[in-house]
Amino acid sequence: MTLASASDLLTYLADLVETLERYAITLLPPNDADEIALGAERDGSLVIELGGRLPTPRRSKDVDLRVFERWRAVDADEWVCVEYAYELRHRELDYRRALHRHDEDHFVRLFGVATHEHCEVPMGVLTCGHYRGVPVTDAFDAFKRLYEEWLGDEKPDCRGLPCLG
Amino acid sequence: MAKLYYTPKEVAEILDISDDAVLDLVNRGSLPALRASPRITRIPIAAFDLWREGFRPKRRRVSMSPARRKVIVGEGEKLPAARRMVRA
Repeated sequence: MTLASASDLLTYLADLVETLERYAITLLPPNDADEIALGAERDGSLVIELGGRLPTPRRSKDVDLRVFERWRAVDADEWVCVEYAYELRHRELDYRRALHRHDEDHFVRLFGVATHEHCEVPMGVLTCGHYRGVPVTDAFDAFKRLYEEWLGDEKPDCRGLPCLG
Repeated sequence: MAKLYYTPKEVAEILDISDDAVLDLVNRGSLPALRASPRITRIPIAAFDLWREGFRPKRRRVSMSPARRKVIVGEGEKLPAARRMVRA
């Protein structure tokens, strides 16, 4: 579990955007502006939400990356990431990979793990609804895992992943 | 299958430097790369091209502001049910 102050999260977000751009990701509006936002929700949670497009050859369909994290306060100016969703949608090869953490109580109670993954080839076709997920350290770790998947330029072999149901 | 990355050896040939010099650029964080394993380094071509053109991302200002919308993570997913114990 990583604890962060609000100031840490602002720096984390700026670093993340910088990294994505170094890896030739085009950030989609509204994150393509000079100033980007760490969102504050009404219940006090802080959220990071980014959308980006991976570099593709001309006339090729888009490959989209989405990053979402929700951080909750556990103490005065001390935040912990309680939910995440990192997604890669490869429209050219027609697959979706996603690394998720949500409904933690349900997954822990049933499977003893807080995280899960999605793997759809083709996109929208569920051979298995949820795969056992290797926990993601942070958005940088998730980005590298999904980028690595994209870099291979092949449809993922979902059958190699352990299915939770 | 499209070629989306270079090996350090290929980058070394393009830049006319040694393989070790390429790995040094990677290790110093100058050249964007991914380490698939301790022995396998991949240099994304798109990122390499940007780096070679001298592109350095502009540091963004980040501020706190009300969230644009309420995101429900996993919305629309059907949560997996418990499995019934099967004994031989």
